[in-house]
Amino acid sequence: MNKEKKPTTYKFGTPPNLIRFLYPIFLIALLCLPSLGESNYDRRTAVVGVYDNPPKIFVSRSGKPAGIFIDIIEFIAEKEGWKLRYVTGTWAEGLSRLEKGEIDLLPDVAYTPEREEKFSFHKEPILSSWFQVYAPKGSGIKSIIDLNGKRVAVLERSVQHEAFKRLVENFGFSVTIIPIPNYNDLFQMVSRGEADAAVSHRFHAINYAKSFGLEDTAVIFNPTRLFFAGPKTGGKELLDTLDEYLSEMKKDPHSIYYQTLKRWTAEEIRFTFPEWAKTLGWILGSILLMSIIGIFILKHQLNIKTKELRQINQEMEKRIIKRTEELRVAMEKAQSADRLKSAFLATMSHELRTPLNSIIGFTGILLQGLAGPLNEEQHKQLSMVQSSARHLLALINDVLDISKIEAGQLTMSVKSFELRPVIEKAIKMVSPFAEKKGLNLIIEIDDRIGSITTDQRRLEQIILNLLNNAIKFTEKGKVRISCRAEDDHYLLSVSDTGIGIRANEIDQIFKPFHQIDTGLTRKYEGTGLGLSISKRLIEMMGGTIEVESEWGKGSIFTIRIPKKAKEFS
Amino acid sequence: MKETLLIIEDNEQNLYMMRFLLEKSGFTVISATNGREGIQMALHHKPRAILLDIQLPEMDRYEVARELKKHEELKGVPIIAVTSYAMPGDREKILAAGANGYIEKPIDPDTFVDEVRKYI
Repeated sequence: MNKEKKPTTYKFGTPPNLIRFLYPIFLIALLCLPSLGESNYDRRTAVVGVYDNPPKIFVSRSGKPAGIFIDIIEFIAEKEGWKLRYVTGTWAEGLSRLEKGEIDLLPDVAYTPEREEKFSFHKEPILSSWFQVYAPKGSGIKSIIDLNGKRVAVLERSVQHEAFKRLVENFGFSVTIIPIPNYNDLFQMVSRGEADAAVSHRFHAINYAKSFGLEDTAVIFNPTRLFFAGPKTGGKELLDTLDEYLSEMKKDPHSIYYQTLKRWTAEEIRFTFPEWAKTLGWILGSILLMSIIGIFILKHQLNIKTKELRQINQEMEKRIIKRTEELRVAMEKAQSADRLKSAFLATMSHELRTPLNSIIGFTGILLQGLAGPLNEEQHKQLSMVQSSARHLLALINDVLDISKIEAGQLTMSVKSFELRPVIEKAIKMVSPFAEKKGLNLIIEIDDRIGSITTDQRRLEQIILNLLNNAIKFTEKGKVRISCRAEDDHYLLSVSDTGIGIRANEIDQIFKPFHQIDTGLTRKYEGTGLGLSISKRLIEMMGGTIEVESEWGKGSIFTIRIPKKAKEFS
Repeated sequence: MKETLLIIEDNEQNLYMMRFLLEKSGFTVISATNGREGIQMALHHKPRAILLDIQLPEMDRYEVARELKKHEELKGVPIIAVTSYAMPGDREKILAAGANGYIEKPIDPDTFVDEVRKYI
């Protein structure tokens, strides 16, 4: 008995400890109940029908039954100490044997109410499946409509046989149904052209459709639950035991149930990977590999570009730095050139003026007779020397002034003083020239003229310039200087009855080196800088200069001098 | 008694011109051609006034003015700067350094002596 209980088809690893523990109890129970011995022995030999429907059930190459159902029943038999005997045949034969009670269990039977009348089923399904029509690739059979007038192979006496028949009948199609006893022959018939399509369940098709050049169609029907079926009577205990095991096995993801599903579906699929799928795999793999390589190449190129960009950037930065440096140097040069220019002008004006001052001074001494009496001709000629020297000095002074203004180096020396004496001093200086020309010099200084805060010497310079101009350009008539206070500024006007300025020249007179075209060649001496200097100076004080003139009638120059000059550094 | 004036001037012609005009007007004129010498002469002779040309070499003109003003015994001696107004701010600077006034170049023989007298 011990020998009998040894596993005969042991293949699922060592039995759990529970079983080892139960062995002695079981033995004792058997010894204690000798009367039950024979019947127990009989009941513990289960006859199982085997047919060919891989991977659910089939006979392996070594001649042993195999498949999902076999794995499960052998596991349970091992646990329960059953002996299993296999009876091999076709599906239809299996059904007949079951009907006759020749076998105890037929694997992979789809439940139908009709079948329940002939057989008994346990409750926990082993598998769920459905049926689907498979047709050769490119056959054009896609849906049920395409089956009209076609030959369809189907497993003889199977659930799908009935179901498919009903299905096409319901549609009113004329389909030639070819019953085939064996699952494996179904696809072969189609591939040989003896049928146009075949009905198969998903487990079978997963593994074999592609190897026969078939593909699935949209015709899916009859979802089924697959069980072990037993004879109508006497098999209930066996089936109940199956249910107990199945419900337990389905709860445990590592159970033999799931192991066998995995083994017979996934492994077989892998085993039967069709060539084209492998090729496709290789192609996809190659594409993936090439993509990865491509990505790396792109990344590499991107890196190169990035590097290039960075280099360009750095180069640009370098260039910018270089240019900035060049600019800085240029600016420094310009600034130093400016300083040089200023220094040059200052030095030159000093160097020029020193001898000139000497000439002017000694000429004056001689003209005064301080060094002895002069005759008339000597006096006349010395006067010319003096005049020329003075003109030269005026030129030098003006050029220096305008240069300093242009260079922004002219500084204001602002202080508070009385305005009236400044005006009177200027008048006093020019009155000899006016007298000499027989001009009437009219002075109108308002009594309310008081103090002013500005650069005194520069203001004197402006007033003198205006007065000198008026006298210079007036041959007869009068020169009038007037001054009055107005709010925060003084208004000083110098008007004359001289040659005036043409309208088109009025904009030009404040520009450097401009002397109006008098129509006569250099009749009026001067540097042409006086007015432009005056304009710049009055603006620096925060004032303005304006001119009104009529050609041939005379001019009026008006300066507006703020009582408090802007502050200058 | 003739009044003594000290001229500190490096330019020979200017010195000659000023000396000529001032001596004509009855002043006694002593002169120095650099700052250091000028200060020594000022301390030694205690002139009525000092005419200081501001383009002196060696010693800075402003320095000369400041140095002169430092000495107690020269406190009452006016310093008259003779300036050509070449550089901006010169006049203000020399006044700030201690000069009592200035006479502008070119020297006008008509007015020069009168201008000097104003400070005496």
